[in-house]
Amino acid sequence: MKKNSKGAFIFMCLAPSVVLFTLFMVVPTINVFRMSFYRWGGYSASRTFVGLDNFRILFSGDMRFLQSFQNTVLLISVVSIVTFGISLVFASILSREEVRGKNFFRVVFYIPNILSVVIISAIFSAIYEANNGMLNSIISFFDRTREPVYWLGDNDIVIFSIAGAMVWQAIGYYMVMYMASMASVPESLYESANLEGAGKIHQFFRITVPLIWSNIRTTMTFFIISSINLSFLFVTAMTNGGPDGASEVFLSYMYRQAYTNSSYGYGMAIGVVVFTFSFALSGIVNLVTYRDPIEI
Amino acid sequence: MRNRTGKLFLLVLTTVVFAACGGRDESTVGEGRITVAALESAYGSALWKEVTQAFSAKTGIEVELVIDRNIEDVIAPGMQAGDFPDVVHLATGRERALTETMIKEGALEPLADMLEMVIPGENVRVRDKIAGGFLESSLTNPYSDRKTYLAPMFYSPCGLFYNANLLEQKGWDLPSTWDEMWELGDKARAEGIALFAYPTAGYFDAFFYALLYVVGGTDFFDRATTFTEGIWETEEARIVFDIIETLASYTERSVPSNANSANFTRNQQLVLDNKAIFMPNGTWVTGEMRDAPRADGFEWGLTGLPALEAGGDSYSYTWFEQAWIPAGARNKDAAKTFLAYLYSDEAAAIFARSSAYQPIVGLGDMLEGENSLFYSIYDGGTKAALGAFATTVPVEGVTVYDTFFAPVDSLVNGSRTREMWVNQIKRNSDLLRAALK
Repeated sequence: MKKNSKGAFIFMCLAPSVVLFTLFMVVPTINVFRMSFYRWGGYSASRTFVGLDNFRILFSGDMRFLQSFQNTVLLISVVSIVTFGISLVFASILSREEVRGKNFFRVVFYIPNILSVVIISAIFSAIYEANNGMLNSIISFFDRTREPVYWLGDNDIVIFSIAGAMVWQAIGYYMVMYMASMASVPESLYESANLEGAGKIHQFFRITVPLIWSNIRTTMTFFIISSINLSFLFVTAMTNGGPDGASEVFLSYMYRQAYTNSSYGYGMAIGVVVFTFSFALSGIVNLVTYRDPIEI
Repeated sequence: MRNRTGKLFLLVLTTVVFAACGGRDESTVGEGRITVAALESAYGSALWKEVTQAFSAKTGIEVELVIDRNIEDVIAPGMQAGDFPDVVHLATGRERALTETMIKEGALEPLADMLEMVIPGENVRVRDKIAGGFLESSLTNPYSDRKTYLAPMFYSPCGLFYNANLLEQKGWDLPSTWDEMWELGDKARAEGIALFAYPTAGYFDAFFYALLYVVGGTDFFDRATTFTEGIWETEEARIVFDIIETLASYTERSVPSNANSANFTRNQQLVLDNKAIFMPNGTWVTGEMRDAPRADGFEWGLTGLPALEAGGDSYSYTWFEQAWIPAGARNKDAAKTFLAYLYSDEAAAIFARSSAYQPIVGLGDMLEGENSLFYSIYDGGTKAALGAFATTVPVEGVTVYDTFFAPVDSLVNGSRTREMWVNQIKRNSDLLRAALK
């Protein structure tokens, strides 16, 4: 009887989340997969089952999709590596070194994270502005004859300009995450390393990084998911995928196909690719970064 | 007992969750009540509130008005669940493309009987009140079957907007041919002024359609917009591509950087600051830039696209919005009465107060200020260009915008050659032709 009532209690506690999770996560995900096999505009009753046709078109000659794929992979790589490097170094400096105004820097680095993406995009649009923007003003200070750099108007540069804004936005968040786990590294390890003559860089790579490795692994997955999601917001707010599709990413292209091009089924096929890609990439990253946990 | 309580709790929770996901209260919409969804555009929202109140006072039919700057986001989820507004005022050409999707899906109610209705409070049929040309356009008859599915609304002449004062000060004449345009471009360049700027590549639609008319008249426009085989290899097409390629070389270099929905006003500002002479736009631009700083003595001017040669035809595209009734709407009769009322003098006067002009006979009396100058563009010999690319079933991965207009950005910044652009047009036209409805 007691066992029964315990079971009922657990059931009652779990039921709301299970119902909500199933309703709002599992069912829509299944629907995305199902709709990717149809040709459908989204609003009428006429749906045609087309099997794998949407995927065939996607991989056989849709150059815009390939461009968005390329851009997304580039953003995941550049934003993850740069953000990871900078935030780890900053976190180490702010938690291990006696820097004047330490708390001030903590707050300053974190501020971008509490700003909305639209505001950050507006700030960076102003910084990147071709004629009166901050970046070009600095460049022209050194070379007055130089033609302005079209940060958001050059097909080859635009994606890196977006990466810049994404890195600026993300550093504070990851820095705080790394600082939190660095705080749990015992001070005695650094003291004994000091006594044995290990330098700061040596301590960083031999003590700090190995001991916060599980945290770093978690953030790797975050990098992948947030790069895919945030790139859509930044692209939508800063360039709308332009110029001429040069800054199109996975989700912005999916949106354009599902809605602007009235190809909801095709959009869902792109959704399936994004889902599978992000899942697979996270899995691979998780696998290759596995290390035996260090016990102190 | 406890187990039963748990199940009861789960049942209540599930009910609450499903109720929260439910649609609109059915009891709010009845025979004498319609739901009107309208886009809050540059004209504002007051005009819709006023016109729906006036309609209710005239007919006794109540109107539930849903108005929003992103009206698609408000009504689309309900529509996907089969809950349609009775009337939707939303033009084609929006990023979300809800109207285009409804056309492509064949999900619009035919409006033939609405056109035969007598306008509430007047003694004239809707068909006779709507100005000539609008009901024959491919934007109102999307399937080329002489059946009207979209009601023409708020029209606006599109063309090249400029600072009339700048040309006057510099002693430059308004170009009447494209050769004169290039000469003006050279003179302006010598003074550090660009000949051309555009808000976004999307504004090339009205420009492109008018240019098709300028180069080859109605016949060429019809053949081009129905993707006729070999059309892009003709002499007329070559001239069209020549003009756009040359225009790209005269375009202010920073334009592609701001050619997006967040920053397009910076490109419009180039004209206000005398950094560029012409930009393709519609009459709404004056309201959009009302509070923007401008050069001393700035004065808006509007001209059509120059002719190919002296004495040739100049064209200005007539842009207009559309209202439609979803095939799934519940109160179609009352919805049609509402649409008919929108062409009454009373409704047109309400709209005109917000500078939104209905395409009706006798509109001239309602025009005021610079609008009377803009809307008189067709009185000076410039011809009206109407229409758009023919409707196709959706072609996955191919859009008219990506094919024809977006590459203009790349032509300007040099990322794409004319040959690459034309080849893409030919390739995608073959796909779109096969998908014509």
